[in-house]
Amino acid sequence: MSLVSLDKVHKYYGDNHVLKGVDLKIEAGEVVSIIGRSGSGKSTLLRCMNGLEQYQKGGVIVDNQSVEDDEYKLRLLSRSVGMVFQSFNLFPHMTVGQNVMLATKLVLKKSPSESKKLAEELLEKVGLSDKFSAYPGNLSGGQQQRVAIARSLAMSPKVLLCDEITSALDPELVGEVLKVLEQLKAEGMTLILVTHEMNFARDVGDRVVFMNQGKVWETGASDEIFANPQTEELKSFLAAVR
Amino acid sequence: MMQFTDWDILRNLLLAARWTILLSLLAFIGGGLFGLLLTILRSMRNTLITRLIQGYVEVFQGIPLLMQLFLTFFGFSLIGFEVDAWTAAVISLTLFSSAFFHDIWRGCIEALPKGQWEACRTLGLSYLQTMRYVIVPQAMRMSIAPTVGFSVQIVKGTALASVIGFVELTKAGTMINNAVFQPFKVFAFVALLYFLICFPLSLLARYLEKKNHVAR
Repeated sequence: MSLVSLDKVHKYYGDNHVLKGVDLKIEAGEVVSIIGRSGSGKSTLLRCMNGLEQYQKGGVIVDNQSVEDDEYKLRLLSRSVGMVFQSFNLFPHMTVGQNVMLATKLVLKKSPSESKKLAEELLEKVGLSDKFSAYPGNLSGGQQQRVAIARSLAMSPKVLLCDEITSALDPELVGEVLKVLEQLKAEGMTLILVTHEMNFARDVGDRVVFMNQGKVWETGASDEIFANPQTEELKSFLAAVR
Repeated sequence: MMQFTDWDILRNLLLAARWTILLSLLAFIGGGLFGLLLTILRSMRNTLITRLIQGYVEVFQGIPLLMQLFLTFFGFSLIGFEVDAWTAAVISLTLFSSAFFHDIWRGCIEALPKGQWEACRTLGLSYLQTMRYVIVPQAMRMSIAPTVGFSVQIVKGTALASVIGFVELTKAGTMINNAVFQPFKVFAFVALLYFLICFPLSLLARYLEKKNHVAR
């Protein structure tokens, strides 16, 4: 059984048919980049994988759990699926450490000392062990995004969804975030990224999914897709972003 | 005939100002508690409750406070409850401010970025946990300045209680003027006293606004 499996997923925003029957299977340990023009439905697709968006037809199964519009099921699912956002979404009134520990205390019911130990380990992993008591507002964008990654990892998810996580960063800060992702890949984490970082998708990603007009238009191994795109749409997209 | 010195006028006004302050305080506390209750009820996201509260807010924001005072004062006696001016004033000012407080606080909650809710959902926090640990602490910080700012409106609103015969600052001013016939002097004193109550509140609101702005 694949870790993430989408079966003919349809999604509408009112009359707008955003996802038109998406089939996609992602195995544990894979690093999959979802690319495509803005409005092609790639973020929506990602958000259907953890219930932030509801879909109208088809099925989504993640870690053997069906993703449905049900508060309780979605809360259980959140232990398997982590998410990192373009706008970080850190809690500005809490310190970095509190941000990372909040869910481990409240959701996983870990003891304060256990939570603290885990938070320190994770912050060290993302290179921010000295920022435990800092507030997010005093960190750079790249640092904030690394805290957000640590916060997600605290729930020990099986798959991490990354929604354009470098798009809000100054160019010189992108590298430090991508480095963390590379490290996660090396540890065997499953990563699904909606991204504009074509170099990262090509060099680090295992597989690329090209979304167009609400469908998976073309998919394949990263080096193949970039070296030898099959469809006209992908060719023109790659030409436009290069 | 008795002569009033300026000090007599001011002294009597100051005595009446106690009632303005007490009425403001009661309206602030009563309106705050009731507004809080409305905000909690509304956060349960029940369509019917939300509609009812919306209606409540529209009614109390859409009718002049003066009419609300009249309706409370005369309305209660119509259904057989004799209420004195004091009770009527406290009730109407409480209802009036609760509508505004609720609206201010709802606005602060809704002003928080959607991403805060989404982050909580992806971390598996329940609705109540999200409110308790993430939304309310931030909304509270944001709401302090407008809440204090609105208290100035309450203080000024208490002046209207004079029309139903409640002797507070404005009513005392009218009564004293009837005795001394020096309207400009008397009402200048009245205005000054209102200003001395309201201005520190305005300063406090501005200070809190700046402080919280920097903190964000």
